[in-house]
Amino acid sequence: MEQTKVNAPDAPSAPVSSHTQVAAARAVSKEVAIRSNGTGVFYNTDQQALHDVSLTFHKGEVAALIGPSGCGKSTFLRCLNLMNLEIPHCRIVGSIDYHGVDIVNEKINLFDVRTSIGMVFQQPNPFRKSIYDNVALALTRHGMAANSTNLDDQVEEALRAAVLWDEVKDDLKKSAWALSGGQQQRLCIARTLALHPDVLLMDEPCSALDPIATRAIEDTARRIADTGICVIIVTHNMQQAARVSDTTSFFYLGEMVETGPTERIFTAPEDERLQAYISGQFG
Amino acid sequence: MANTATPQPAPRLIDPDAVVAHVEKARRQSKAATVILTAIAGAICVLLAAILVYIISAGASKAFDPAFLTSPPQQFKEGGGIGPELFNSFYLLVLTLVISIPLSLGAAIFLVEYAPDNWVTRAVKTAIEVLSSLPSIVVGLFGFLLFVLQMSWGFSIISGALALTMFNIPILLRVIQQALEAVPTDQRDAGLALGMTRWETTVHILLPCAMPAIITGVILSAGRVFGEAAALIYTAGQSAPALDFTSFDLTNPACPWNIWRPAETLAVHIWKINSEGVVPDLTAVSDGTAAVLVICILAFNLIARFAGRRLSKKLTAE
Ligand SMILES: Nc1ncnc2c1ncn2[C@@H]1O[C@H](COP(=O)(O)OP(=O)(O)OP(=O)(O)O)[C@@H](O)[C@H]1O
Ligand SMILES: [Mg+2]
Repeated sequence: MEQTKVNAPDAPSAPVSSHTQVAAARAVSKEVAIRSNGTGVFYNTDQQALHDVSLTFHKGEVAALIGPSGCGKSTFLRCLNLMNLEIPHCRIVGSIDYHGVDIVNEKINLFDVRTSIGMVFQQPNPFRKSIYDNVALALTRHGMAANSTNLDDQVEEALRAAVLWDEVKDDLKKSAWALSGGQQQRLCIARTLALHPDVLLMDEPCSALDPIATRAIEDTARRIADTGICVIIVTHNMQQAARVSDTTSFFYLGEMVETGPTERIFTAPEDERLQAYISGQFG
Repeated sequence: MANTATPQPAPRLIDPDAVVAHVEKARRQSKAATVILTAIAGAICVLLAAILVYIISAGASKAFDPAFLTSPPQQFKEGGGIGPELFNSFYLLVLTLVISIPLSLGAAIFLVEYAPDNWVTRAVKTAIEVLSSLPSIVVGLFGFLLFVLQMSWGFSIISGALALTMFNIPILLRVIQQALEAVPTDQRDAGLALGMTRWETTVHILLPCAMPAIITGVILSAGRVFGEAAALIYTAGQSAPALDFTSFDLTNPACPWNIWRPAETLAVHIWKINSEGVVPDLTAVSDGTAAVLVICILAFNLIARFAGRRLSKKLTAE
């Protein structure tokens, strides 16, 4: 605990930043967005890649998942929106509580779950369509647009939420594949936000991007969380986790080793594996 | 492992002369390869162009003669045309495509997107590969046994179209299957992660991406179907009743749309007059027919390619 004090960025006398105030206000009325209880994953029926992960994620929070390559971060993330079910011979055990429903074991509508738990992938993967259609497709498929003006409005709103509107508003009919990598990634965020999810999963969304585009995505993630969405971001980059997240969970060899407020995780790690990871001994 | 036993002399790390010599050798090889490959490609192009020019120029006098293109063939006199054959070729092609495109599209989507990866699926995929290289005469004789004799439909358009379908489906299926498999997995994941069903993802995301490859496949297979003779000789038959385009009585053999009438196509016509023809202007008719066949295939290749490019531009906004 002493260490915390020494390394804490804010001296006790410094004025409390608005960010900490927001965080403090949130701490009072933390609303759980999604919670995993002893979640594990088997690939090929007998090969266990993830063991017994119990984590709680709150609305309005950015949660970072860190850990060395192959430790099961993506595997865990893909449990939360049940994308693992698309992989043949992949089995999820344990339970995941989402709005009071156990989405792993109860009979649920998979497609509704994925509509309200959005996902952004490591490689930007916009559809091979116009920018407009990228956002509009899922909206029309889910019957969420009353008419074409309403659809236009929703597309604009989503692009604004992903901080992309100003860059593309004149080229909505152009192919999304002609955008830069960072813009493509924000487009992927936009099409997910268009469905008004309350959880947004991001699997290393910046690994294919340069530092400036990375910052843009990070800012976007922060803003999205500030609108009350729960953002869960997997990252290899500890600076990134430190910059954007409120809580951080460390995965190692298929287990969730340690979780806590980001500041505490980076300043006072308890588990020695986490200490070794943070000091750069592996990963 | 002999060379581990005998110690090698320590190599000099960098020998500038050897590096220069190596680079020069690589450049020479590259240049030689370019020359040889260009020569081979050039020779093939010249050969193909020569064949095309020869076929078209040999038949040009007939092929651009409207009377030849519209009048019925003659049995013994000269001056016969290929009107019914021309129509039959297109009619059979359209019927075949109408049956085989939806079937192979559906089967390909099932195999790629839905079928579990088990031995049944693998066996089916292997069977399709085998079928797609089946000699067409085998398909023709099978069609003769099944459709002409067993079903007693006789030599008819329906027998021919079904034989052509059997011949076409494996080829088309494989092309569509490969086109779908070539769509990056992340497109599929993106659709599913947005809460769309597998079907919506396939129809709205994967098919538009795969469309250019599918169209190319359909064109190529259509060319093969259009020029196919062996599969039709014993199914659609070798006689072409004169057609009466004013008749819409589907039981009348002269009605062009009647699928129960025998229908000789251009390719079968070429085969027939060359093997048992007795008309005096046999060579001219045969050359003219060949030219028409080649021109038709060229034409719808170009048209479909153009249409395909327009369509995929529209679907992908590029
Ligand atoms: N589809 C799959 N089939 C079989 N095993 C898999 C599959 N996907 C992942 N695994 C295994 O599960 C383990 C965890 O993989 P996962 O992709 O979750 O790691 P990760 O933490 O996301 O790594 P990275 O940081 O490199 O993305 C690995 O050992 C991997 O080999
Ligand atoms: Mg990963």
